[in-house]
Amino acid sequence: MSEEDSRSSEDETSEDEDINDYYNNNEDDFIDNSDVERGQDGEEIMTSDYYSSNEYIRKRMQELEYYDYQCLTGTEVEEKLAKDTETTAELLNISPPLAQLVLLANKWKITAINTRLKLSPVERGKLLVESGVIAVLPSHFKHRTEHKKLSLKSAVSCGVCFDVFPVSDVTSLSCKHMFCRQCWTQHIDFTVKEGMNAGIPCMENDCSVLCPIDFVEQFLKGDSARLYRDHLFRISVTTHYRCRFCPGVDCPVVLFAETPKPRRVTCKRCKMSCCFECGNEYHVPTDCETIKKWLVKCADDSETANYISANTKDCPACHICIEKNGGCNHIQCSKCKHNFCWMCLGDWKAHGNSYYECSKYKENPTMTNSSQQTQAREALKKYLFYFHRWENHSQSLRLESNARLKIQSQIEEKMNRSEGTWIDWQYLLRAGELLAKCRNTLHYTYPLAYYAGGGSEKALFEYQQAQLEVEIEGLAWKLEHAGEYQRGEVENQMDVCEKRTQTLLARFVAN
Amino acid sequence: MAGLPRRITKETQRLLSEPVQGISATPDENNLRYFHVTINGPKDSPFEGGVFKLELFLPEEYPMAAPKVRFNTKIYHPNIDKIGRICLDILKDKWSPALQVRTVLLSIQALLSAPNPDDPLANDVADNWKRNEAAAIKTAREWTQKYAMSGGQ
Ligand SMILES: [Zn+2]
Ligand SMILES: [Zn+2]
Ligand SMILES: [Zn+2]
Ligand SMILES: [Zn+2]
Ligand SMILES: [Zn+2]
Ligand SMILES: [Zn+2]
Ligand SMILES: [Zn+2]
Repeated sequence: MSEEDSRSSEDETSEDEDINDYYNNNEDDFIDNSDVERGQDGEEIMTSDYYSSNEYIRKRMQELEYYDYQCLTGTEVEEKLAKDTETTAELLNISPPLAQLVLLANKWKITAINTRLKLSPVERGKLLVESGVIAVLPSHFKHRTEHKKLSLKSAVSCGVCFDVFPVSDVTSLSCKHMFCRQCWTQHIDFTVKEGMNAGIPCMENDCSVLCPIDFVEQFLKGDSARLYRDHLFRISVTTHYRCRFCPGVDCPVVLFAETPKPRRVTCKRCKMSCCFECGNEYHVPTDCETIKKWLVKCADDSETANYISANTKDCPACHICIEKNGGCNHIQCSKCKHNFCWMCLGDWKAHGNSYYECSKYKENPTMTNSSQQTQAREALKKYLFYFHRWENHSQSLRLESNARLKIQSQIEEKMNRSEGTWIDWQYLLRAGELLAKCRNTLHYTYPLAYYAGGGSEKALFEYQQAQLEVEIEGLAWKLEHAGEYQRGEVENQMDVCEKRTQTLLARFVAN
Repeated sequence: MAGLPRRITKETQRLLSEPVQGISATPDENNLRYFHVTINGPKDSPFEGGVFKLELFLPEEYPMAAPKVRFNTKIYHPNIDKIGRICLDILKDKWSPALQVRTVLLSIQALLSAPNPDDPLANDVADNWKRNEAAAIKTAREWTQKYAMSGGQ
């Protein structure tokens, strides 16, 4: 019999033990586990390899926590953009305004542009065509000859207003599509007002050449010119792979990272944070693509899923209606004192041992032969299972973020009663912060689990997820019942939570 | 409203003096930016034999902004929705000020010859078109008969 088994049977026989004892058992559980991690029990699949070693975890956590980024002002970004433009102009031997077009079309990835140039001599021409600098490769001359004839005449008809102008009053981009200055002004003005998200194209039908900044600015004055500069800056930042606008409302800060990665970045000005790579809320351990897919799915299925986000449920033992007002999912009925799980309404005792499986969806094994309708129902059931847990932790996060104020006032009360100093009670605030951090990670394990394939990798992940969930609920419980626990007990629980979070995360940082 | 730009006057004159085959466009007598349009269903299409009424309006910003065009005759087509709106790139992001009313109407005529269910506006029609093209064409023909031939509306 393995250690795990013996412990769980112990749990089963200890039904009368109170919550306190239960958590004490759990601490032993943790200590045993860390023994296993040191390799004393070779057959433990979960913990015996390098990936669970403290050294590995420390390294990965460092990668996760110390992400190198800056919070830049608009002027600082402008300087960087100007430098990028200079470099690219030299690289391609074109003017800086044209280089800017190339950068806008290539996410400002100078290294990638350079690599392409070295690939073959035709790449430069292709790059310029794709970026809207020139219309066609130098080998196609159809337009040019047509327009040579035009330029010999003394008057040209503008293809937009149909009026006739002396050659001096018409102008064109590199494609030589001639239009009068008044039409250019109106076209540029109109496109700028519309947001110019695709740049400002030539007026000719099917021409992909874009107006560079020096061409545009000869036609703009006052407000339009300012608006153009604003749009150009916004588009530059949103296309730049190293830049991201701060997600804070009306915050002008630009987050800048030399090496873009899906890491947490926090604005130093407004304190809002997000994933640098995709701009969504920080979502480790789920990757950017998966979280995007998941969020779209949730939005699409929001009506189907709405009914489950209620915040009242009936106690499964005495059936009185209970309203959830804390983040903890371990609920004790105020009337009959029954301990149950808010998520699955099961007895909380079944959540306490190493067979904790509330977080794990059990696929129906007979599915493959059943009708399309049954399969669709099963697919929905699976989605709702994960969505339910995703929503629930999101609700817990909201409720627990209010709890900070509660903890603060609790501390003040204690101090008023001369029970210890401010310093003495700081651990409660730290516990609250840690709880939020760990629960956020747990929250984002659900989309990952939903899309995960089968196999041992998933089994391990679900095991770690379950282990984390039980400890997080343990911490939440102790924090909500802070008066009943010693500082040491809370701090132990914090350690366990942090360790389990790190173990789970460490595997996902490597790639 | 400011006077009619010379470009619109010229386009209108040419539309009247050199009409495109199968297309008519007449400016409204009260608003010279508003055109009553008819397009004959192209040969060898399920719309053959039908005469489709459209309205076309040239907004204040024309030709910097595209004309606004809408079918007034009901039509069963994957790129035209229930209320007659048309999904056509040159009416949206591919508009160029060098395009004209004439080119727009020709493009709509071409769209009737070659429906594009992969870029749908009417999703249910596009689905049918992809799943069972023969049945969809039959429905389109029936609608043409019912709404776009003399006696229909
Ligand atoms: Zn002109
Ligand atoms: Zn051009
Ligand atoms: Zn900010
Ligand atoms: Zn991301
Ligand atoms: Zn109860
Ligand atoms: Zn709980
Ligand atoms: Zn449960």
